[in-house]
Amino acid sequence: MNLTQYEQDMLNGKYGEFKKAALKKVVEYGIALGAEELCEVTKATLYFGAHPYLETTNGKNYDEVFSKMYLCSDETIKMGEFAEGCFCQTCVAPCDHYQYEPLHLTKELFDKNREYLDITKEAGVSIVGSCTPYFGGWIPLKGEHFVTTESSNVLMCNSVFGACGNSDGIEAAAWSAVCGRTPKWGNHILENRKANVVYNIECKLDTATEWDVVGYTVGRMLPPHAIPALVGDFKRPTIIKLKQCFASMATTSGAEMCHIVDVTPEAPTLEIALGGKEPEKVFTITQEDYNKSLRMLCDEGEAEINIIALGCPHYTLEEVRDVANYIKGKKIKEGIDFFVWTDYSIKEMAVQNGYVDIIKEAGGDVMTSGCPLVMGKKNFEHAIGFVSDGAKQAHYIRSDLQTGVPVYYGDMYTCIDAGINGKWGGK
Amino acid sequence: MEKIVGRGAFSGIVEGIALVCPESIQGWSGISDTTGQIIEKGHSQEGVNINGRILVLPCSKGSNGWSCHFHSAMRSGFKPAGWVFSKMDSRAGVATVVVGSPAVADFKDVDPCEFIKNGDLIRINGDTGEVEILQRSLEN
Repeated sequence: MNLTQYEQDMLNGKYGEFKKAALKKVVEYGIALGAEELCEVTKATLYFGAHPYLETTNGKNYDEVFSKMYLCSDETIKMGEFAEGCFCQTCVAPCDHYQYEPLHLTKELFDKNREYLDITKEAGVSIVGSCTPYFGGWIPLKGEHFVTTESSNVLMCNSVFGACGNSDGIEAAAWSAVCGRTPKWGNHILENRKANVVYNIECKLDTATEWDVVGYTVGRMLPPHAIPALVGDFKRPTIIKLKQCFASMATTSGAEMCHIVDVTPEAPTLEIALGGKEPEKVFTITQEDYNKSLRMLCDEGEAEINIIALGCPHYTLEEVRDVANYIKGKKIKEGIDFFVWTDYSIKEMAVQNGYVDIIKEAGGDVMTSGCPLVMGKKNFEHAIGFVSDGAKQAHYIRSDLQTGVPVYYGDMYTCIDAGINGKWGGK
Repeated sequence: MEKIVGRGAFSGIVEGIALVCPESIQGWSGISDTTGQIIEKGHSQEGVNINGRILVLPCSKGSNGWSCHFHSAMRSGFKPAGWVFSKMDSRAGVATVVVGSPAVADFKDVDPCEFIKNGDLIRINGDTGEVEILQRSLEN
């Protein structure tokens, strides 16, 4: 591994133990990858807060938890400053920013989460609580190196913004945010970003749900490490549709980059997306492939439901508005957790526009920072039926729910109807 | 002795029973933080514990939380003894470093997910990149 003088000095401890520990792990990570040098990171989203997976450390305080679980050190290293020149903000949190009781969480968790977030805020990580940070202004530009703990954000930033990042993981994002470096490897090198497989989209593809299901389908067919290019006679997608597509694609595969011909900037044509080479494989996504994905995501039949989670990934203001417009004057059946998930900057705009009041009047609420998946089992252990309009949520929650609890997936409006009727399917 | 060679990705030599997952393991709700068991619904090895096994995977898959759940399970006392990846990727690289078990990756002419059979006793060398079959599984 070739290091600059600045990096070598950091590794020798010139800038403190915190940065030294972080860079040491980045160098080990680079060696594991086969990287030869590092590059400078200027944006980071970080999975901080009192997340359930941290509980296995039994740490006495956050410095101990942070040292063990982020810096991978059994020796407690006092937290220092995050990297100057790298704007750091938090990814999703295991609790809403304001409430815990409606989410079946404890005040202890709520307080602990806030305590952890306040500690990292003092060290330089702004509290945001978003899996769609680009809607709040966190947008790495073309050629800019970023780290993020949200897999759909990796696809969005690489594919749409032309920025450079890998799906490193929770710990590596923290290392990079502390030391300001990541291995120059994978998507950080321009020639590695070309498509090598092509997907001809022949199924119907227009709505956000259709993009969600197509992303899921592309992912489940994708060969390991392949970079897809999507082509077909579909209408140009909006960023809302792409956020759905990328979230589900990064659920069923390890995709980090996805070209969409004539839509994403590195794919003005299929030939350019492929870098002038022949594709290694060409897939066709038929309506039958699409329907198969839908069957994987949504259980059959009709049954009572009591949890509805809209907003995976987090909703935009436009989507919160659409929920408000549809639900206005209607009532969610009593006893159902009907929550719209977004970040608190978008919630505040929704408050100003009256959307939150409309949703609350109907018996639901707008929650911030998290979602059922990241809050963990305490949030949904009472589930008798779970409904979501996010393929990612519907996919992963199956492994966490108690056996026999059905999972239903559909568009926003079908999910709201289920809340009004108290059951999925039928009327 | 049957042997394949990749690139040594994380130093160390270890012997163990291979747990081959050609579909990889998903990064969220893939393994249990508290028991080390594979909990991914419909996975070919659902219910099997990763502890002490040498995981043989083509790649990582799914959430950027891939490494952190292996890490959390390790803190609960359950971790793979080693890793074999057909080809290295970013999530896999982080998990390797976080767990700290020997790892071999980047095979050129052979797919370890086909060459190694589930249950084989293997030895991996994270310095030289060698993977040896010590004893074939009777399951296959």
